[in-house]
Amino acid sequence: MTRQAEPSTISSAEAAGVDRATTGGVALDQRILVSPQFLLVATIVVFSAFVTLESPQYLSVLNWTNILRNAVFIFIVGSFSTYVLVSAGLDLSVGSIFVVGALTVANLLFAGVPIWLSIAVAVAFGVAAGLVNGVLVNYVRIPSFIVTLGMLYVARGLATFVTGGRPIAPLPEAFNVIGQGDIFGVPLLIVYAVVVGVVAHVILEYTPFGLALRAIGGNREAARVAGIDVRRISVVVYMLSGASAAFAGMLMSARLGSGQPSVGTGFELQVISAVIIGGTSMFGGIGSVTGTALGALVLSILANGLILLRIDPTLQNVMVGCIIVAAVAIDQFRRSRMFRGFRR
Amino acid sequence: MNEVSGSMTDSARDHPLLELRNASKAFGNVVALANASLFAYAGSVVALVGDNGAGKSTMVKVLAGVHRMDSGELFLDGLPVTIDTPSDAQGLGISTVFQDLALVEALDIAANVYLGRPIKRGIFVNRPAMLEGAADLLRDLRIRVPSVRVPVGSLSGGQRQGVAIARSVLQHGRVIVMDEPTAALGIRETRHVEEIIVELRSNGRAIILVSHDLELVFRMADRIEVLRLGAVQGVRETKSTTREEIVGLITGILKEPVANQRPA
Repeated sequence: MTRQAEPSTISSAEAAGVDRATTGGVALDQRILVSPQFLLVATIVVFSAFVTLESPQYLSVLNWTNILRNAVFIFIVGSFSTYVLVSAGLDLSVGSIFVVGALTVANLLFAGVPIWLSIAVAVAFGVAAGLVNGVLVNYVRIPSFIVTLGMLYVARGLATFVTGGRPIAPLPEAFNVIGQGDIFGVPLLIVYAVVVGVVAHVILEYTPFGLALRAIGGNREAARVAGIDVRRISVVVYMLSGASAAFAGMLMSARLGSGQPSVGTGFELQVISAVIIGGTSMFGGIGSVTGTALGALVLSILANGLILLRIDPTLQNVMVGCIIVAAVAIDQFRRSRMFRGFRR
Repeated sequence: MNEVSGSMTDSARDHPLLELRNASKAFGNVVALANASLFAYAGSVVALVGDNGAGKSTMVKVLAGVHRMDSGELFLDGLPVTIDTPSDAQGLGISTVFQDLALVEALDIAANVYLGRPIKRGIFVNRPAMLEGAADLLRDLRIRVPSVRVPVGSLSGGQRQGVAIARSVLQHGRVIVMDEPTAALGIRETRHVEEIIVELRSNGRAIILVSHDLELVFRMADRIEVLRLGAVQGVRETKSTTREEIVGLITGILKEPVANQRPA
């Protein structure tokens, strides 16, 4: 695990449980120093303080509900893009699978198919696209960049062709509630994100599957000779990524109350940005769902705060670009401190 | 460890624990192994020496399940077995310490020691038990590391070697294959690896030691098998051979009839 490089209450509790010379953790100050999460939280706090001075409504419950709700889509997909990157892969097709999910569910509902079945079919399409990605990457050995770039075009092209590229509305109210309702004042979208995030986090950090994922991303050959079924696990990762993208697309249709062919354009880059900003390494082995949560939050806060500051929204892209490069620079620095003979 | 020493009856000493018979392996037109055999006995070290390209690494990888041999037979305790995958080899109790060590730099020592077979608690990884187990094991082997929580990427060559060996010990390997275990090490670290080999040997494990270092081979091995161009050039008892004879076999000046390779 890479937990020693990240401040975590769990690891310090463990350290106390096995408090012996050779199971001790890395000093807390060192962990914080090299932790991208620490810098992210600091950035969020400073930026929030600044925005609040200019525009007090920033801190309102309503505004924060908005910020979180906008982060939901990137986070749900980003959780599993984190898996893909941790296993040293890349999935550029999530934006297109997102629109496949959005349009599939809308068309099926419009044709009178029951809600549960429409959702199941939409997610199944995402799983199928992920299966194709995973098989081509692992069994045909085409680089993940190429495979998922191809899927980006194929999935969006098919979705637009089959549905005729027209918006689909209205959708049944019972369906729209899934994306628009709330429970005790908390939007359901946020509830889904929390549930998905917790499950994704627990699987990555505490199960043999998560450990195998890191091993594959850290050193694929070592994982293979250690008896890990590298290809099967990697295929499952792409399927999870596809499923989460289609699921999020379905949620988007419910939130909008219509199936929009234009959703999800450029979404894959936002997702990857959130994952990278959250401290997940492009080179595999290192990364966390909690980091991705912070990454998605940063993107959402920036978008919201810049509007409140009445700064031209196009400048947002400039800031996002700088943050991504800075995040990777920190990752490089961290690896050079952690690993001897690190060259890249 | 106990089950191994417990089964070390006289017959176990007489009969090889592992027998590789007439193994052949080609990569395209390149013949890496040509009817090569190898015998390893419990509580004994057999060294595998030879020039570059002699087939040592291929034989290691066949035993580890990384490569499948084209033809040949493998016996463990006299029973025929097949190894198609790395899991098969581990399941049979054949552990390999690879030359490139096959460690994951981004993972900590505990995760590397248990790589591919983590301790489980229900559907979860039992991380406290893995930390404890790895710490105990490294202490037993007197491998000094700051903490089993540090990533392997931050360790020295000797420490990495220690982690790789610890992993093979942990798999309860009855046969431990070590591919150039001291190649990257300094004098003190080499001595330590030698101590570990002696200890594993006295625990009744069969050790297959692949090395270029004839000093090390003569210090450690009970028998020396020389490979040349994928075939066995000769097998000698260490105490009844000389460095000159082994070098002669390696370079091909001396050649032993194939029929004499089988143990009496």
